[in-house]
Amino acid sequence: MMCNACGFPTRPGHWTDAGADTAGDRLRLQMRRAKILNKILKGYGFSARPPGHGPGFALSSFSGRTTLLPDLEAVWIEAERQLGHPVDPLDPRFTGVAKETT
Amino acid sequence: MSAAPNDGRLRLTILGGYLGSGKTTWLRHKLFEGAFGSAQILVNEAAETPVDDTLLSAQAAGLTMLSGGCACCTGKADLVAALRALCDLRSRQPADQRSSEQIVLETSGLADPAAIATAIREDGILAHHIRVVELIVLVDVLHATEQLGAEELSRIQIEAADRIILTKADAVPDTLLAKVVATVARLNPAAVIEAAVKGQKFVLDNLPAADPMALPQMSGNSAPVTPTRIDISPEVDWATFSVWLSALLHARGHDLVRVKGVFETPAGPLLLQAVRKSVQPPELLPPEAVQRQNQIVFIGRGYDPADLTSSIANLTHE
Repeated sequence: MMCNACGFPTRPGHWTDAGADTAGDRLRLQMRRAKILNKILKGYGFSARPPGHGPGFALSSFSGRTTLLPDLEAVWIEAERQLGHPVDPLDPRFTGVAKETT
Repeated sequence: MSAAPNDGRLRLTILGGYLGSGKTTWLRHKLFEGAFGSAQILVNEAAETPVDDTLLSAQAAGLTMLSGGCACCTGKADLVAALRALCDLRSRQPADQRSSEQIVLETSGLADPAAIATAIREDGILAHHIRVVELIVLVDVLHATEQLGAEELSRIQIEAADRIILTKADAVPDTLLAKVVATVARLNPAAVIEAAVKGQKFVLDNLPAADPMALPQMSGNSAPVTPTRIDISPEVDWATFSVWLSALLHARGHDLVRVKGVFETPAGPLLLQAVRKSVQPPELLPPEAVQRQNQIVFIGRGYDPADLTSSIANLTHE
């Protein structure tokens, strides 16, 4: 079923894609997010990069396997699937350092 | 927080509350008062025998009954189809001839209103046409002690609310009313709490001091819901914040009942709203309408508020 007003049969983009209106902004956002994503994921043996075309990320795991994923939500789901537990930003590995310095 | 701009979408109010909390009575009175203009009304009955239509149809622009399944689970497809039909009808009408710009959905007493809001936001067509403006949850003060003590659903409904209305407020002593107010405020510290008697406002001033009820543990998790407001440092850009928040919601969405705030992006200030794991498509706000940017409220249980700040700081500075 297609909406007769706007013609969108698909879901709107992932919420994290908001805030970038121009093609340049979108590209910058994608590159920057991959960098941040790697900060979180490196401790788990993953690395992420833009797939080179379109949105989403290519997630490479410690096993050498690379998976193409459409958005950040899919990245976290895939990481959880491979790790057996979710990546939690409130894990002590992410919160501990600042506690020692403050 | 500033009001979202009128973006041309239909405004949807979700009215929830446990069985017998007085949803139809309240809504009937509000429609009579004109509180929702000429709204389209959708009523979801979990049971197969709807009766509310006779009560409500006189005041509404249109009434759709959804019976035979709760709209947050078995009746979800029917709800989505009914809302799509309303969107379709509206989009065929010229803007100046539209009879209704808002919808009120009265959920069944067994529904989780947050799950319904999620279903609407996740539907590709509805997300373009409908904006969920408020989750109102009614609580029957006569039965609140028993329900909140025994029924997890009654707590889940309260946790999801933007506005809580205590019904039958004249039927209990002030001491009990004060206790219910304190209990509800602990379950959802961010919601506005009001009271009503048969749909008419009941003033809650001058209640005696009261402690919240001691609610028994359920589902292995009895930690209270606490709100935390975090000022995000200007060093944290939207890319960093969105990656971090998406991970947080994936890992802890069940315990983070609400996330709300306004975040500055290259395109302008974004209104960010999440209910549990579901994030509403962010809305760009006019810069002049926004007073508190990069201030995000987290409402949830089982986390240390200081950890939120240190986790973001580590991600930014490392």
